[in-house]
Formats: sequence, C-alpha cells, structure tokens
Amino acid sequence: MSAPLKVSEIGGAPLAGLRIEPISIRRRLALSRIAEVIALPIVFAFSLEAACRIEDWVEFRTPVLARERSQEDLLVRDALGMHGRPGGHFQKWSLNAFGMRGPEVPLAKSADAVRVVTVGASETFGLYESPGREYPRQLEDTLNAHLKRLPSACEQSRAQVLNAAMPGMSLPTIEQDVRLRISPLRPDFVVVYATPAAYLDDVLPVAARRNTTGAVLALPARFALHPRVADRIRVQIKSLLPTVIQDRIRRKQIAAMLAEHPSGWRFESVPPERLEKFEADLRQLVGSIRSVGATPVLMTHANRFVGSRTPDIAALRAWEKFYPRASGQTIVAFDSVARRATLAIARDSQAVVVDLTPVLARTNGSAFADFSHFTDSGAALAAETASRSLLAALRTNTQCH
Amino acid sequence: MPRFGAVLFNSVVFLFAFLPVTYIVFWTLRTANSRYVWLTATGYLFYGYWNWKFCFLMAFSTLVSYSAGLGFLRWDNNPDRRKVCLWLPIIVDLSLLGFFKYANFAMGTVSGFARWFGADVSVPHFNIILPIGISFYTFHTISYIVDSYRRVIRPTRNFFEFAAYVSLFSQLVAGPIVRFRQIEEDLQNIGLHDRTHWLWRGLSFFTVGLVEKVIIADTLAAFVDPALANYASLSTVGAWLAMLGYSFQIYFDFSGYSSMAVGLGYLFGLRIPQNFNSPYKAGDPSDFWRRWHISLSSCLRDYVYIPLGGNRRGDVRAYYNLILTMLIGGLWHGANWTFVVWGAYHGLLLAVHRRFAKQWDALPRMIKQPSMFLLVLIGWVFFRSAQFTMAVSILRTMFTPTFAVPIAQQSFVLMALLVAAWWSMAGPNVFEMRHAFTPRQRILATVAFAVSLALIMGTRNSPFLYFQF
Repeated sequence: MSAPLKVSEIGGAPLAGLRIEPISIRRRLALSRIAEVIALPIVFAFSLEAACRIEDWVEFRTPVLARERSQEDLLVRDALGMHGRPGGHFQKWSLNAFGMRGPEVPLAKSADAVRVVTVGASETFGLYESPGREYPRQLEDTLNAHLKRLPSACEQSRAQVLNAAMPGMSLPTIEQDVRLRISPLRPDFVVVYATPAAYLDDVLPVAARRNTTGAVLALPARFALHPRVADRIRVQIKSLLPTVIQDRIRRKQIAAMLAEHPSGWRFESVPPERLEKFEADLRQLVGSIRSVGATPVLMTHANRFVGSRTPDIAALRAWEKFYPRASGQTIVAFDSVARRATLAIARDSQAVVVDLTPVLARTNGSAFADFSHFTDSGAALAAETASRSLLAALRTNTQCH
Repeated sequence: MPRFGAVLFNSVVFLFAFLPVTYIVFWTLRTANSRYVWLTATGYLFYGYWNWKFCFLMAFSTLVSYSAGLGFLRWDNNPDRRKVCLWLPIIVDLSLLGFFKYANFAMGTVSGFARWFGADVSVPHFNIILPIGISFYTFHTISYIVDSYRRVIRPTRNFFEFAAYVSLFSQLVAGPIVRFRQIEEDLQNIGLHDRTHWLWRGLSFFTVGLVEKVIIADTLAAFVDPALANYASLSTVGAWLAMLGYSFQIYFDFSGYSSMAVGLGYLFGLRIPQNFNSPYKAGDPSDFWRRWHISLSSCLRDYVYIPLGGNRRGDVRAYYNLILTMLIGGLWHGANWTFVVWGAYHGLLLAVHRRFAKQWDALPRMIKQPSMFLLVLIGWVFFRSAQFTMAVSILRTMFTPTFAVPIAQQSFVLMALLVAAWWSMAGPNVFEMRHAFTPRQRILATVAFAVSLALIMGTRNSPFLYFQF
C-alpha cells in the first residue's frame, strides 16, 4: 500500500500508482480554516490594542505599558494626603514627578520665577480641554506674555504655574494638600477654584484620610494589561447615544436614587448649614495659604447656566446626577450664593479675587463643555481673567525681583 | 450645527450601524426595483443625517433631471423640445448651485470691485449653508442630461433607478463623479448580482481607503493643520514641510475617500470607476490631470473643454480653452479667488506644456516627475490658502530663507512624509494592488482595519477635505 500523497506533491511527479486521500486534504483545509477563524479575531484584537497604545504614546507620550486604567488611578493616598500620582499617565492626562498635571519643575524655585499653584477639582485639573490648553497652562502662557510687556522690574520675571488640582478634590483635602505637599514648593500665589456644589453631596466634604502605613503606592504590574480599547469603545457608545436618551437615563438614575431616601432628603432650596460649612472651609484654606507664605487668590465658580438665554436642561440634569441630593435649580442657586460668599471672604481676608462668573456668563455657554467644565476657549478666558488680577497683585506685592 | 457623524465613512456609526444594515437589507431584497428604492432611501437617510432639510433640494434636482430624461424619450425627434429639455434643467441645477455656493462670493466680489473704484455700495450678505456634496450631485444630474441629449445614454423611465444613481451614498457627498453611462449596466442588472462576487474586492478596496485616510492623511493633518494655522511664524524648512505634508494629505484624503467609495460600490454590485491613478507619478501637467480626480477632469474635458472647441481651432484658441476650462474647474472647487487662481495656474501649466511638449518630453523621467510634483505643490499653496495674503506669505517663506521655531516632533513628521512620499510616488495605487484575499492578505487587511478603527475611536475623526466642495 502506497503512502498518502502530500498536498505539495500534487502536480509534481507522475501520479500513476499513487492514491490521494481526499479526506486528508479536506481535513487539512478545514483545519487551516478553523485556525484562520481563531487567529483572525486574535490578530484583530491585538492590533486594535497595540494601535491604541502606540497612538497614546505618539499623541500624549503615555507609556505603552502605563499601569493607570482610569482617572481614579491617577490619584494616590499617602502620608501627605490624597493627590496626583507622581509620574502618572492616563490618556491625555500626564502628571509630573510631584503628581501635578503639567511639565516637570524643579523643587527649588529660581530667583526670577513667580510661582503660582492652582488648586481645585476637575475644572482646574482640566477634563475636556486639549492637552496643554487647560486653564493653568494657559494662565502660565498668558502671565509670561504679559510679564514680557511690563516695563517694570517684573519684565525679568517668569511665571511658573503648577496645577495641583485633581478631580473630586474638596476644600478640606486641598487645605491639607497646601499644608503638607504644596508648602515645600514655596509658592508666591495659590489660586483657589473651589467647587461649591460638592457641599450638596450626601456627605459633607472632609479631608482625605492620610495613609501613614507606608504601604507601596505603585499600581500592580498586571494593570498595564488593562485593555485601553475598552475605554475607547465605551466612549464611542456613549457619544452615539442621542441626548434625549442620555437625558432619560440620567432622569431614571436620579429617580432611583431619590426612591432610596425618605421624603425631605432632597435639598429644594439652598441649605444654610451647607453654605456655612463652605465658607468655613474656604476661610480655613485662605489661612493655610497665608501660613505657607503665599498670597491666596480666590476665583468665583462659574457655570453654564448663569446668564444663559436658553437653559440647557440636559446639561443641568447631568450636573444633578452628580449631586442627586439637590435639584438642578438648587445647585445653580448654591453656586450663586457661594460666589457671593467667596467675594466676601476675599474682601475680609484681603485675598486677591477673580470674579470669573460674570465674565464666563457673557459667553452664553460656549465657555463650557458641560455644566461647569471649560472648553479650550473657556479655559483661555478664565486664564486671561485670572492673569489680570495676578498681574495687578504682582505690581503691588514684591514678587517681581 | 450640522453633524458629519454618519456621512463619514471613517466613523463608528457608519461602519457598525449604517453600512451593515444597508448591506444586509439590500441583499435580502430580491428585485431590482426594491433595491433601487432601498438605495435611494439609504442615500437620503445618509444625507439627512447631516441636515435633513437639504434632502428636499436633492429630491428637487433629481425630479427635474428625471423629468428632462422623460422629455428626451418623448420628444426623440423634436430638436426644439429636446433643447428645452437640455437647457431648462441645466439652468435650474446651476442656479441652485450658484445660489448656495456662489451667491455670497459674487456679492463680495461686486462689493470689492465697487470699493476699488471708490463707490460705497452696500451689498447684502446671505446667511447660506452650503449643502455638502452639491457640486457632486449637480455634476451627476447635468452629465445625465447632457449625455441623454447627445444620445450617449438612453434615459431611464424608472424613477428609483435614477434616484438611486443620484443619491447613492458611496459617491454622494465627495464623489467620484460617476456618470450614468459608467454604472448604467450595473444599475440595470442590480437585481441579478451575486452577493459574494465582489465582496472581498469591495472590502479590500474599502480597507485600503481607510488606511489612506485614517493612517496617512490624518497623521499628516496632525502637523499640517496647526503649522498652516500659524503660517506667519513658519520657517522656510517648516513651510516646505507643511506644504509637502499638505500635498500628501490632500491626495491620501481624497484618494482614500474614492477608494472607499469604489469598495462600497463593489459591495452593492456597482463598479465605480477609478478616480486617482497615482497622480504624483505624473511627468507633465496633462499626465497629472489624467491621473488626478479623473472623474472631474474627464467631465471638464467632455462638458467644457470640447464644447469650447478643444484644440480644433488652432493653438491660441486651444491655450485659451485650456486656461478657461481649468479656471472653471478651480471655481468648481470653491467660491474663493484662491481657487480661481489655482485653476488658472493649472490651465497655464497645461498651456505651456502644450507649447513646449517636445522639449519637456525629451527630459529624463527622473527630472520630469519631481519637477511636476514641485509645480503641483506650488499650486496647492493657493488651494490651501483662505486668502491671497496667506498664499503670498507661505510662498515668500518657502523661497526666501527664514528662520523660526521648528515644527514640533520633526523626526516623526519626516517619517510620515517619507511613507506618504514612497506610496504616492513609487508604490502601487489601490487599482494596481492584488485583491486576491489570500490568507496573508486577509491578515494584513485585518491588521490595517484594526489599526484604522483604533485611530477612528481615538483622537482623530476628521471630515474629508473634499466635503467642502
């Protein structure tokens, strides 16, 4: 009995006397088809993930094997409190060695530098702006452009803006951060852009618990394998949902949250005790800033609903979803009374004040990408407004060397 | 605010919702008529996603041209009525195009001239939205009318066949300009096609187009757009790099769209003709226009240049006709004098080449091809510039040594330029590639599609440059 013929031998030598086993060929074809059916999705998934990582590196210099899987992984809790993770990278957000968004800076301040530290939550950290267009970066550019034009001694100065904000940072946490982490940087100014709505949360803001155990802060190595393409798919799906459906989902989520609580739980008007707490925390922060030798700069919080000719109900509901304990109108009203409180505190404590609310109200919402986070142009306007107050303070203070 | 979403072939909603649904329903339907209706409906849905109000404009234009076609059938032996059927719809179509695309341009020009002569004329400015793709579907309908008049084609009596031709989503908003005669046969046999016959070829063309657009053109756009937005601060090297980048960006952007359009055509059993044949391999201006936007240049030749007399009335008249034809071609691209100058520049190149063809053709290819590319690149300066001041500034920077801050990520930019240069000037175009879909090609296509998809879902999701025309 002759040996079965190999596929590669067909059509070669004379075939007389040889027997082809068609089943074997069919089996091989079937096997190769199965192999392909298995291999192609693997190749597809691998290429998709690799392309995401390479694009992140090309666009934002995010390491291909960065371990951060979400914005939350950019936060770290150590002996200094809760703040940005030193050297953290996630999508377009890159933190320097101090855990601050922006370029690397030396710890020691040079003689000609005017060091400004911006503190706050996601509005200051920057969510929707293009990389490098968040308000602290634009503030640095604007200040330096103005300083060059000044005829005084300030002309030789150079502004250095450090963005110490992180999403979700409350005033007590910021105050702790100023005392423990920011003070060694010896800032000349600390610009505060607080989020008053945080005081409408179910639980009142308190300083983040410090981790004094000395536990390792590094994220596990396996986090580097988190599929980045999953985030992109999630964003795509979300963006494809029509506004009407997104709004309906939010409405249901808020209703479900309300159903879990007794009636009267919701704030239908501005709660005075919450406002008092906001004022107290802000005053304490101003004191702490002064205690580290810096000048406090208080910015009033702006939102897209003040001065808007046609209130964006969907955007208001999105804000409500973050603070379901308060109605949309209450959140907006609280922002307004918090503005007045901020102005009063600035006046009482001789702090520099930047009243951003009326400036951004004139843009009819175009300064905002959502309820309160800036667009590139909104951030530019905030930076320009803040720079004017800072320059005026520079002229009267002695920060120009 | 108009949405580009689904009208972008390089969008998730198009790739994973519009296209699969359109494809599956199309092949589920059995009769030619139902397929015409489906293609028409999807074409309008596709267009309406951008701005549904302008669907009425397209429907009106379709109805007028279709009626003219019926007129040609009815008055086959009546030259006077045939002339009415020729000119009336052309006037209607051109009036619509003129109003939406050129009204403000004309007003602005009148006002500019008046100010030049010292008259203070107050000219109204209309708040007009330019319907995307109007230049393309107007050319589709006009070519149908003219070809029917010339008896090159027999007008169709089937309204939905004609409506499907005009509103075919693959070619609707950015071409190629497909003449009825070019897909008439496929349209008539639409009920007979075998679904799998062109499937792999279609997918392969589409994937190559996606790579051209998303990986090459958009990568180049990432440095070209910011560089040219700050053209006044460019160095000489920066200006050359930016214009080199733009030359490749516009080619891969438009060629990518055309490749995708051809691929989509194959998926539905329609053979859409080639629109780009490696134009940067051209050795002279005539060769370039035989390779660049072939569907437009052939339309300009057949419907403008030849009716003007072509080269039948002596050399001087031929030069005049060439320049005038290209000038119209420039104006077709946009209502701006920079486009007119770009068109005139190419007309001049064609005329000069015609005059010195013998001498030019005697030059070795390695001189002709780069020289032609350089001339085309200079033309792109006008095409890309929003105003003359910008064009003059870029040209001045390119040709007088200027030092400034270098373009960011220059090594990466150079790498992207090298890849683009190799592919466009030496590599195969999509029609020259093998689309056999061997296992190796299947893997390559899978990788290419995955990479493009990752980029689409990431930071880049830009509309096609030719949408503005």
